[in-house]
Amino acid sequence: MAPFAYSSEKGVYLDVQSGSLMGLVHASAGYEYTDRHHVMGGLGYVPKLDEHREMGLASIRYRYQNPMQWSFAALDRDWTIKPFNLGIGLLYADHDELFVSLPEQYPDGYYGPTGLRAIFNYQAIVQFDASFEAYLDISVIDFGLAYYIREPDFFYENYDFLGLDGITNWGVGMRYWF
Amino acid sequence: MMIFNKFKLKLVTIVTLAIFLSACQFEISPWATDVNCPASVSVASNLAKLEAFEAQQGPITDYKVALLSDPQMYPGAFEDVIKRINTMDDVSFILLSGDLSESGLKAEIEWTCKAMTKSTKPIFAVIGNHDALGFGQEMWLSVFGPYDFSFTYQDSKFVAYNDNKYEFDNVPDRDWLQAEGAVNAGEVRQNTIAVSHIAPWPHDLELSQNFKDYGFDLTVHGHEHDFNFWQLSDVMLPHYITSFTKFDEYGILTVSGTDLSLENCKGSVCTPADPRTITN
Repeated sequence: MAPFAYSSEKGVYLDVQSGSLMGLVHASAGYEYTDRHHVMGGLGYVPKLDEHREMGLASIRYRYQNPMQWSFAALDRDWTIKPFNLGIGLLYADHDELFVSLPEQYPDGYYGPTGLRAIFNYQAIVQFDASFEAYLDISVIDFGLAYYIREPDFFYENYDFLGLDGITNWGVGMRYWF
Repeated sequence: MMIFNKFKLKLVTIVTLAIFLSACQFEISPWATDVNCPASVSVASNLAKLEAFEAQQGPITDYKVALLSDPQMYPGAFEDVIKRINTMDDVSFILLSGDLSESGLKAEIEWTCKAMTKSTKPIFAVIGNHDALGFGQEMWLSVFGPYDFSFTYQDSKFVAYNDNKYEFDNVPDRDWLQAEGAVNAGEVRQNTIAVSHIAPWPHDLELSQNFKDYGFDLTVHGHEHDFNFWQLSDVMLPHYITSFTKFDEYGILTVSGTDLSLENCKGSVCTPADPRTITN
């Protein structure tokens, strides 16, 4: 069974994601600039919740899409799973309590930016026609990965699944290829 | 064989993802404030624990207090120090002088809480400058409790206060410190000891003098990521700074009646510390 080819000759798509640290909703424009390599720029939103302040998010992301694919038929349609995809991105949060440039009250170099973080992620993609695909996203924030590499025993002992439960977050999304 | 191997790879991948998905969290941003820390790390909970311990212990004149600080970025090392302190029977409780997180983020606070729950002794945390970043101030209040608090143990009073002046207005609260330092009629007070994240800075003559005037005998701090111990020549109130826990370092305060002595410890080796006198 042949896997799907994308319908888009331009390699341009719209991505909408929820969770995995990217906001309740995060919409991005994506571009496959060369085979397997993708870049995206997006805007996200977090509403005011009991456990969250309202804030806007912005991101730029890169994703490497491994060519391995598994195709199968089910429910009267063809499906393709692309199981190995890795990415990295920068996530910016717009809120008065957070900053990228150090506020004037602090001496130079006192803090790093509090409103900017690097996010590492893994995606498992399911393509169900030439224009649409859905994905599961699992992300790790920059310091989470750093602490895990530095002190794996702490996470092994305190969290499940080799300690990865302590540093990972999940989300879902969909893409539409133009 | 190849088909079987491909099938096994698919099966392992799918099962791994399914297990993983059941374990990790759906989080809509790194800046959430619903910190998942147990009530046992709160000041209130530890006050109750210390009270019960003191009641069981009865009156004693000699005991020790472990002084830990700045566990940020190394929760594993912090947990190791806590486990070491657990083996010290003569340590009554732990003072944790701030910077439990690097950026005031929920995940960091949760990791530090995990380590704190390993303590068999009461552990009291004061807020550090890094803890106050982002939405850390709000999370601190919900997890640990008030920024300023005090308690008495074996007739010595320990006064924890917030002095992160870049992040808060009007700190430290000197009126409150003065009131806490005062000995009430009929009260037995062996020592009055202040604890905060940052020592009077930089070599703040006025604040050091204030503490002396308020009746304090010693102040203990963190923040500098190294041991330090000084007093101003015009005031002669000692200010002790404990190192950070990254390299298994901590301080030990020994209380013998009204005698207070400090040690700098690395691993199982402790050396006496004496304040250097700084001429104003």
